[in-house]
Amino acid sequence: MSWINALVQGLFLGGLYALFACGLSLLFGVMRIINLAHGDLAVLGAFGVWWVSDRADVSPFLALLAVLPVMLALGYALQRTVLARSLRGGELTPLLTTFGLAIVLQNALLQIFSPDVRSLGPSVGSLSTGSWKITDQLSVPYLGVLILAVAVGVLGALQFLLQRTGFGREMRATAQDPDTAALVGVPAASVYARAAAIAVAVAALAGTFLALHSTFDASSGPTQLVFAFEAVVIGGLGSLWGTLTGGVVLGIAQTLGAQIDPQYSILAGHLVFLVILAGPRGRFIATRRAHA
Amino acid sequence: MPESPMSEPSPEPSRRQILRTAGLGMSGLALASPLLAACKVGSGGSGGSGGAATLKIGFVSPRTGAAAGFGEPDAYVLGLARKAFADGLTIGGKKYQVKIIDKDGQSNPQRGSQVANDLINAEGVDLMLTTSTPETVNPVSDACEAAGVPCISTVVPWEAWYFGRGAKPTQKQAYRYTFHFCFGVEQFHQAYTHLWPQVKTNKKTGVMWPNDSDGNAIRQALGPLLEKDGYDIVDPGAYTDGTNDYSSQIARFKSEHCEIFNTFPIPSDFATFWRQAAQQGYRPKIVQVAKTGLFPSQVEALGSIGVGIAGGAYWTPTFPYSSSLTKISSKDLADGYQKSSGKQWTQQLGPSLALFDAAAAAFQAATDPKDKKAVAKAIAGLDVQTPVGRLQWGKGPNANVVATPILGGQWVQAAKGSPYKLDFVLCENSSDPNVPVAARLHPYTS
Repeated sequence: MSWINALVQGLFLGGLYALFACGLSLLFGVMRIINLAHGDLAVLGAFGVWWVSDRADVSPFLALLAVLPVMLALGYALQRTVLARSLRGGELTPLLTTFGLAIVLQNALLQIFSPDVRSLGPSVGSLSTGSWKITDQLSVPYLGVLILAVAVGVLGALQFLLQRTGFGREMRATAQDPDTAALVGVPAASVYARAAAIAVAVAALAGTFLALHSTFDASSGPTQLVFAFEAVVIGGLGSLWGTLTGGVVLGIAQTLGAQIDPQYSILAGHLVFLVILAGPRGRFIATRRAHA
Repeated sequence: MPESPMSEPSPEPSRRQILRTAGLGMSGLALASPLLAACKVGSGGSGGSGGAATLKIGFVSPRTGAAAGFGEPDAYVLGLARKAFADGLTIGGKKYQVKIIDKDGQSNPQRGSQVANDLINAEGVDLMLTTSTPETVNPVSDACEAAGVPCISTVVPWEAWYFGRGAKPTQKQAYRYTFHFCFGVEQFHQAYTHLWPQVKTNKKTGVMWPNDSDGNAIRQALGPLLEKDGYDIVDPGAYTDGTNDYSSQIARFKSEHCEIFNTFPIPSDFATFWRQAAQQGYRPKIVQVAKTGLFPSQVEALGSIGVGIAGGAYWTPTFPYSSSLTKISSKDLADGYQKSSGKQWTQQLGPSLALFDAAAAAFQAATDPKDKKAVAKAIAGLDVQTPVGRLQWGKGPNANVVATPILGGQWVQAAKGSPYKLDFVLCENSSDPNVPVAARLHPYTS
């Protein structure tokens, strides 16, 4: 029974990882940028939601509605001002730029919000601590179900956007070949900016759920970035449904690993990641090239 | 908000260096740091540029990074110390100016080591003070030991400081220049065995000791001690810091009916675990948390499930001691901090101020405060009154260490009218009977 519980908990954990990985996957898929500031942007979003909900004394979900447009705008501005320039500098420049951005964000948040740890869990009451007790050993947490549902919803919506809308077609065209897309009148710069806007907003969403799941402070970003990155690679870089699969595989690998011995939990996730990386898909990742 | 944490001048080279190390060190080129430090030796000259009549104290603590919570009250404590040293020190009829230079160790061993070398070589400090977590304190102590600069440190369990830096269990004085005061495993053992009997339990203790330096030290040293006292330790195994799911451990604790729970986690891990425990229906009678739960914000962030968690304290405002340097009592220290910062007191205030008490006393006791050997010798026999109690080197577990108390207590809802949500009350005083006990431990009910 405890193995089934581990599997179920792993599934929900996978939802959180997938949500984290989603923005990373989108940016890589469209622009071939690995955004090292992704975790910190998520934490920035969490701080934003915390700040609004604390100041206005409203539920974090209402606060999230106010923060998401701000994060969309921030993502858009970030691409227009910083990332677009660094993209012109070659493959390594965006990596360094986002790395620098991560440091700036961490220290700015520390300066503004002090090193205190915070959480959104207390302000949603039993949502963060309650569960449906199926049997004595099997519980289904409310929060886990919510996170998984949101992850599926967000990824599904993005998939729909990419496959079925004109904007999605532009984005896919730009992802495949920005120069050719430009020839037929699809401006890469504007597509990139919209992709970055979505990625940053989804990161903020993931940060909010992290803040419900645990606590966060200015230095929480990088830890989650590792898992998000692994989920993206396991699921296949740039593929959205793959990202969901990747997150769930990583989550279940960790909980099942812990079932054998707690010290194998994180290790099991890393091993799955390495096996994928060593396989044929890993070679594909390594040979994929960036477009300026 | 208090002003910038870097209140001492000389911002130009240090800012550049922060950028340089941040860029180099973190991108994996850690090898570059010693090179940079070595360059500094060349350019810094012999040090002590302020003339013979100035005593320089270096202070290294984590102000940014994962352990930044520890460094939070430093700005206030440094302010108190600078004020107390404003008129200088008169030692052996000679007047000395005292200059404190504080640096941020960034919760990172490479950075800690680098700022320590900087303080030693470029600034020529006469005495080093350092505090909070092995990641900052151990590399700073090592740099001082190597350079022959006296150093006093605190807030690292003393075993992690003494043995963690390579001392053998048989050695009685492993270090010539570095000295330490802090609690150790024995104090945890004392606190727990006096705290836990206050609530009736089946003595089955579920433990979550992580796979890091603290967790492994506790597993080796505290586990056997508790078992000797009749506690049945249920240890599912060492987990990695940053784990996001604890269902396997929770299932184990539930099936074994562990009524006592003990852990030494980082704050985010405990929040994840404790929420998941609530979801899965694991409710021990005693929740004994160390390392996390030192500061109010960490417990407040848990919400209602944080009330009733038991913890340990190395200093509280009820410690009946005063700082010998500033003459400030423990109570006034907490009140002053709360007034100036608008935030609730934290345990860090006591030991941080105690470092400066020890520094002043060491200079006073030395035959020549500019002679590093003489200062180190003075520390080895020092007897000084501080907010955490009377520190007497030479009587501790070894010549370098004074073992200070850690007292067991519980986080409770603050009294009506308090501006804060929670309060920490002491429930036992086995390792320092002078400190008053405020309440009995209550079973966890939240």
